[in-house]
Amino acid sequence: MSARVVALVLAGALVASPLAAQVARFAGADGRIYRVRFRSAVQGGGEARSGFAAGAQARFVRGRVTLEASYAQGRLTAATGSAAPLSLVDGSLAFAFRPKPWLVLKTGPHLRGYVAPSATERWVFWEARARGESAIVPYVLEAHLEGWVALASGVNVDPGAGGAHGGEAGLTLRLPQLPFSVRLAYAVDRAKLANDARSETVEAVFLGITYSRR
Amino acid sequence: MRIRATFLALAVLTVSLARAARAQSPAEQLALGIRAYGDLEYDTAAALFRAALALPGPPPLTDAERARALVHLGATELFRERRDAAAAAFQALLVLEPRYRPDQLVFPPEVSGLFEEVRLGTRAVAATVPPITRIDAAGDQVIVWLYATSYHQIEVAVLHANGVRFRSVYAGGVGDSLQVLWDGRTDTGALVEAGSYYLDVDSRGIDGRVVRSLVVPLTVERVHLDALPLPPPPDALMVPERVAAGGTGVRALATGLAGAVAVLALPAVMAGGSGGMVERLAVVGAFGMGGLATFLSQRHTQPIPENIAVNREVRLAWQRQADAVIAANAAKRQEVHLLVRAGTPRTGQGP
Repeated sequence: MSARVVALVLAGALVASPLAAQVARFAGADGRIYRVRFRSAVQGGGEARSGFAAGAQARFVRGRVTLEASYAQGRLTAATGSAAPLSLVDGSLAFAFRPKPWLVLKTGPHLRGYVAPSATERWVFWEARARGESAIVPYVLEAHLEGWVALASGVNVDPGAGGAHGGEAGLTLRLPQLPFSVRLAYAVDRAKLANDARSETVEAVFLGITYSRR
Repeated sequence: MRIRATFLALAVLTVSLARAARAQSPAEQLALGIRAYGDLEYDTAAALFRAALALPGPPPLTDAERARALVHLGATELFRERRDAAAAAFQALLVLEPRYRPDQLVFPPEVSGLFEEVRLGTRAVAATVPPITRIDAAGDQVIVWLYATSYHQIEVAVLHANGVRFRSVYAGGVGDSLQVLWDGRTDTGALVEAGSYYLDVDSRGIDGRVVRSLVVPLTVERVHLDALPLPPPPDALMVPERVAAGGTGVRALATGLAGAVAVLALPAVMAGGSGGMVERLAVVGAFGMGGLATFLSQRHTQPIPENIAVNREVRLAWQRQADAVIAANAAKRQEVHLLVRAGTPRTGQGP
């Protein structure tokens, strides 16, 4: 089963779940457009790619607990040269707990695949995330800063995974009197193969529109 | 011989009266009188009973003691062959307590016979009124029980303190007992004002003239029910309606700048410098603009629409409750309730 299929199944299951749950206190879903830049660095060289991706995230909140599922897919083309484009598939499932109004702790699996005509590189991370939130304009404009580290990671490329971490910072603008909010954020992460044989950095600026329903 | 007997009788009377004189209270006089009555010393007994009835106290005789003194006085006078005095004692007893009957085991038939004869010729009533009657609703009334010595015509009315009659309650015959009711209103149907009134019961003779009157003092108070208190102001339930100036703006600016710096620094921190896409400057700009714009706009306090809406609902809910209480209190003020206190009945002879 490819990483893309696994990500699709996970995301589909999580999207369906909150829609079916009638006891949800809060449910939300958003659509996103990503501007993605990918860099792969090896000893003495590397490659750069960029492209756009589209994704969605579903969120199911009950009290202090949140279940999130996200999925994104896009196409990365080489910035230089004539290398074949890659398809980027990214999916995650996160169980979040909010111990303080401004702090969210998350954990869950994160799958990422780079699909090329010749082969597919699949990464699997089990992440621990911490997210801080602060209002710039109360009830209207909110900032967040998030960092994560892979507690465990794996990749189907030798010599195997050597770890990953990343971060995200962004803004959420809530539209008054409407169940919609707009999110603009920048995220960056870096995954390494064992022995620092190679590192892959993915940066993304994304713009999303979120629909929330109580 | 006759002189000696007279002297002996005077000596006995003197000794008895001396003993009686030592008795200080009317109750003691009564007890000595009953003892003398039992010893057939009727002259002594009569003197003691009259003394007990005449003494004001202390303590004064109770109605039961007074009735006991009068029935014994009547019997004593009868045995002293003073029938008129006996009848007068029984009549006084009947006026005091129309339902009184001599004990057949204590007094001989001739006493009961005279008492009955007097009772049939006496026209008087006694009244029993609850000490306090509350008139709240339309059906509430002051309940007066009348007890008559014998069948006769009476007229019951409520009078002002100056004697002016304003409500006729009953006019007709009364046999053994009768219940009359007063609803606290005048003849026109209006509730009486607060003040002092009298319930007057006139007993009429065969010729229709008033032979005896019973008066029950009545004191009427107008009572208003306690007003309900207003619900406490909802201050504790209110949330701030405005964001304070200064601090919030500075915090917003700091947050925006921190966010912008974080976006700028993230590639170096997370990717070891192998990143830094230009597009992220849009996020940097959004952070900076958001913080700066908020800082500039928050120099004055800013309203919080959600909190204002919440407070509006809280205030409306409180106002609804307060209006209901005010309306209930207004309705209570319109309601008049009477508190009727009855005093001790007094009997007087007719004109």
